[in-house]
Amino acid sequence: MAHRQRHNSNGIAVKASQDYKDDWSRLLTQVGTQRDRQAFERVFRHFAPLIKGFHHSRSTQALNIETADELVQEVMLKVWHKAPRFDQGKASASTWIFTIMRNCRIDMLRRSQRHQNRDSDVDVADIWDENLENQPLLFLQHKRNERDIADGLSALPSEQSHILEKAYMEGKSHSEISEELRLPLGTVKSRVRLAMKKLQARFVR
Amino acid sequence: MIRHHPDENLLLEYASGSLARGPSLVVAAHVQMCADCRSHFHTLNNLGGSLLNGSPAQPLQANAFERLMQRINQTPDKVAEKGEDTPIGEQIDQDPVLEHLPRVLYQLLNRNPNRHWKSLTRNLQICRLKSGQNDYEVAFHRLRSGSGLPKHDHRGQEFALVLNGSFSDHRGIYGRGDFVLCEPGQVHKPIATQDMDCLCFSAVAAPVALTGISGLFLNPLISFCPG
Repeated sequence: MAHRQRHNSNGIAVKASQDYKDDWSRLLTQVGTQRDRQAFERVFRHFAPLIKGFHHSRSTQALNIETADELVQEVMLKVWHKAPRFDQGKASASTWIFTIMRNCRIDMLRRSQRHQNRDSDVDVADIWDENLENQPLLFLQHKRNERDIADGLSALPSEQSHILEKAYMEGKSHSEISEELRLPLGTVKSRVRLAMKKLQARFVR
Repeated sequence: MIRHHPDENLLLEYASGSLARGPSLVVAAHVQMCADCRSHFHTLNNLGGSLLNGSPAQPLQANAFERLMQRINQTPDKVAEKGEDTPIGEQIDQDPVLEHLPRVLYQLLNRNPNRHWKSLTRNLQICRLKSGQNDYEVAFHRLRSGSGLPKHDHRGQEFALVLNGSFSDHRGIYGRGDFVLCEPGQVHKPIATQDMDCLCFSAVAAPVALTGISGLFLNPLISFCPG
């Protein structure tokens, strides 16, 4: 399952579209339906290093290395337990794992903060739903949306993709990004909007 | 028909996990009601998936997989799955005002069994909710049909969602499912439409300041209770 990768202007590798075959979704389905541990190991060996790199690498230090390793364990534990609810007709493996990872990170950051009343805490998966029903889009349309985004990402100017990475990888709000990069908030916002417009250019909502 | 949505930037902050918990609750509730934003949210999740696919793989700690399998062997599937789903729809039936809510708000209500409605003015009631954070006041507001709120401005951002009925201000009419964002300094005077009470869910970053003479009397009533 080797993927040829190319790099965009930031050195972030992006899968080339001709390689877009979603074997991982098939494997993850196997993990869910058959509790197949060998399939899970392959999913782990592929995604766990990506999860770590998403948060800690030469280009991003969103989390320190220990926390990134801890997050990997938490995310993959959830992936194993939630796999029976994975539906490859709704999302690809990478998108689904991303949502679990985002939610784990939110949970982890909350736990590290001093916190008063956990009783009133709404479960993170209720606020950031991992199994949200979408409109009855055809499977192929989902695939196309995901492929267009993967392709478009590599073609974005670096000033735009950089901001998307800060938001997603470092979990920074637009105003935090604007402070850090010393850009007016309006500039950050318009770069995000331009980027999204390009990513969705071929995708009809 | 939902006409007012969170903008692209807010949705991206929500999808990337960088939006604070208070406003995230409001955006989540809107997304659960609005098919357009749901579809957009999926696109933003796909973007997250693509970024994950392209992130630079880093070597793991030795035995990372074996350690995980050890944990998995210690937690039977059934136990792990049980903790995931909180039952919904309990304890709320006595309050007919709070019917047909998006799921996330049912969850929030279930976590607030001791909630109560309190009158702020003759026409306005509030039900504050604990949501496990300190930066935003999270609450339901009920404005009596045909009545208005005193003109007020917003010292901090207010994120609101109309759940029932509708209200209007100088910018337009907002009905069920509509998302309303008030920026600091914006002044408005919302009026509920005649046909029914207007129920809103909101997260407010700082106390709402009342302007004008009635503000002098009303301000002390509007105390800021984050949580």
